[in-house]
Amino acid sequence: MKTVEMERNPKILAFLCNWCSYAGADLAGIGRMQYPPNIRVVRVPCSGRVNPYFIIKALQRGWDGVLVSGCHPGDCHYISGNLVARRRFAVLKDLLEYLGIEPGRVNFSWVSAAEGEKFANVVNDVVDKVKALGPAERLVKV
Amino acid sequence: MNWKVIAKKKMPALIEELTKEYQVFAPVRNESVVSFERVSSGNETVLDLHNTKKPPKEVFLPQNEILFTYRVGQESVEIEGAPALEREMVLLGVRPCDARGFVLLDKFFSSGEQEDFNYLRKRENAATVGLACNHPLSTCFCTSIGGSPFGKEGMDLLLQDLNDKYLIEMVTEKGKKLIEKFPWLRGAEKADIEKGKRLSEDAEKAIRSKLSVEGLSEKLDRMFDDPMWDQIGLKCVGCGVCTFLCPTCCCFDVLDEETEEAKRVRIWDSCQFPLFTLQGSGHNPRSSAKERMRQRIMHKFSYFVKNFGESFCVGCGRCIRECPVNQDIREIIDGISTR
Amino acid sequence: MGNVENSMREIAQELLSEGKVDVIVGYGQGTLPLRTTPCFINKAEDVPKLVWNASCDANLSRYLVGREDKVGVVAKGCDARAILVCTVEKQILRENVVIIGVPCPGVIDKKKVEAKLDGKEALDAIIEDEEIKVKGEEFEYVLPIEDFTCDSCLTCRHRNPPIYDVLVGEKAPEAPDADEFAEVSSLESRSAEERWAHFEEELSKCIRCYACRNVCPLCYCKECFVDQTMPAWFGKTNRLSDTMIYHIVRAFHVAGRCVDCGACSRACPMDINLRQLVKKTEKIVRERFNYEAGISLEEVPPLGEFKMQDAQEFIR
Repeated sequence: MKTVEMERNPKILAFLCNWCSYAGADLAGIGRMQYPPNIRVVRVPCSGRVNPYFIIKALQRGWDGVLVSGCHPGDCHYISGNLVARRRFAVLKDLLEYLGIEPGRVNFSWVSAAEGEKFANVVNDVVDKVKALGPAERLVKV
Repeated sequence: MNWKVIAKKKMPALIEELTKEYQVFAPVRNESVVSFERVSSGNETVLDLHNTKKPPKEVFLPQNEILFTYRVGQESVEIEGAPALEREMVLLGVRPCDARGFVLLDKFFSSGEQEDFNYLRKRENAATVGLACNHPLSTCFCTSIGGSPFGKEGMDLLLQDLNDKYLIEMVTEKGKKLIEKFPWLRGAEKADIEKGKRLSEDAEKAIRSKLSVEGLSEKLDRMFDDPMWDQIGLKCVGCGVCTFLCPTCCCFDVLDEETEEAKRVRIWDSCQFPLFTLQGSGHNPRSSAKERMRQRIMHKFSYFVKNFGESFCVGCGRCIRECPVNQDIREIIDGISTR
Repeated sequence: MGNVENSMREIAQELLSEGKVDVIVGYGQGTLPLRTTPCFINKAEDVPKLVWNASCDANLSRYLVGREDKVGVVAKGCDARAILVCTVEKQILRENVVIIGVPCPGVIDKKKVEAKLDGKEALDAIIEDEEIKVKGEEFEYVLPIEDFTCDSCLTCRHRNPPIYDVLVGEKAPEAPDADEFAEVSSLESRSAEERWAHFEEELSKCIRCYACRNVCPLCYCKECFVDQTMPAWFGKTNRLSDTMIYHIVRAFHVAGRCVDCGACSRACPMDINLRQLVKKTEKIVRERFNYEAGISLEEVPPLGEFKMQDAQEFIR
């Protein structure tokens, strides 16, 4: 049951690749950079590990937003995981938006281990976007 | 007086009155597909059609039904049964084949040690108003399998289209009580009843598909390894169209959903699906369309006959019309009966 | 059409009697007007069962994956493209298939004919000279085929199979500039809310029979995602969320592989316009990766490769 309080505080599931984005998030923490507490992080070895099922399942379970973040192209610890994922995410995002899932629910970024500040900014922006969209309803199974 | 009539243009008013006291389910058009749905007014129904796409079994056996909800606490599990029926139901415009299907489903769901409470409770609290067929489809074979275009099995009232009016026949006490709520209905004249009889005889003569089902069960007993099943299995794609659109198919799966409120639900299942007989070991005794189609035919025309004395098919022809690869049960029955 | 049918039978006869194939997969006469049915012939004397006409709409390449025998298959343009995709994905051994290619100007959409008949039953139909002569009790219509052709065929750009071992009949004229994405573009121009409402309404009709999946030649997984149980990703109930997810994921799975044969839409008993969804994936792959499935044996499936310069405008 979403109370009014919860409605103003979206819940965002963030898949962060271990080698770049997760480290970047860690750096943000070490540097005491402020970003909203609305994300819940799932550490994955590579953005290529992120199965579209995860994103769709998250939307079904009522997560208000999803963020997937990985290494910059060319810097993937597994050489090309993020490159394969890039095509996959492109198709998924276009398909979900065509169906009518609001743009801004599903987000992608490249954040390196040195980009603590970028991570904080990304989270800030994603939370703002999702807050403006309101609680997720489409695809949610109650 | 067992017969009444109602002018067609008064039908919406009757339906409207029914909706005030009952949950009324009737054929409703949704673009190109007509199915039984709950109606809240008299104008949503369409009665001048051959038959609905989906059979009316879904009123009594919903494709998705909550059996109960539960809450797991520290010490115990609290279970809350499905809510009581808000009102009694009236199903309007059920063809004789589909109504006969209810009778067969009743046999199934009231058999064994545990009667199926969920199905039977709905059946007992529903009245079925049938609609006799004046123009059977070429794929109808009800008369070959114990039915008739003007059959009354499974109905409380039978309507018959007399062009500008419907003839209403009271079949059961329940039907009689229902129709007594409409004292403004006129009694039928002799001419009306005669016309109805003539139309019924014509309809029966108009049935084109005639099959021999004599001794089908015994023949099937000897046919388990018959090469006919290989041929049938070759083109079958293993979807669930025949089972889901069949008025008598009723296999289901039960699963638990732990969404906000934990619930145990029952959903339709199909013997044509790969998971139907998949065992925990990974072995599947019915691993291809051949075994599954064989099982379906055997269930319909042999196993059910042995258990309940009748075939589990009412000859509605939906499986023939809707099968994506034009698998034709009439050909299969002919193949068996000529063995 | 008659000549094509005879040539097809001759070819089938030859292939069987010379032992080049173990079985011919083709179309046979259906038991209802305007219906044909998949036909499996392994004896030369059964070859006359093969037919060819505008109601040969099934995608027979659906029966090829997982076979170990040698097959001769009748294939229209779209069917041959599907065979190509399955070959590239290493699900069909090219040398085990003899493709009997048939140029096809389009197949009849029986749902369009049914709509025209408006509840009346067709008892007999003859397809002749670009016309469908359909008869019933107390009615007779002569319908121009072009008005009752499948939507997928109206914008088809591959009327001739891009791959075949033997071609039956004259090549059909192509229409390479047909706007196959018109329907998708029209939906794209509407708002997200409108699209959501539209797909919700359309997909709420779904009864989860999986006819769409099972007639699709590209849906050959031994275990479909929807049948996975440990863990079960998505539900099999007909609740809207579960149903929409089934269709989204299936569309995603055929992205870059679908050849728009239209079999899924034709198979759907609830008349759902599935092509509206799946066609979008074709457009995405065409625009982003300049890729069209089922044209060449040398192609690499788009989601199986990447380029450094792939567009990433959606990634921050």
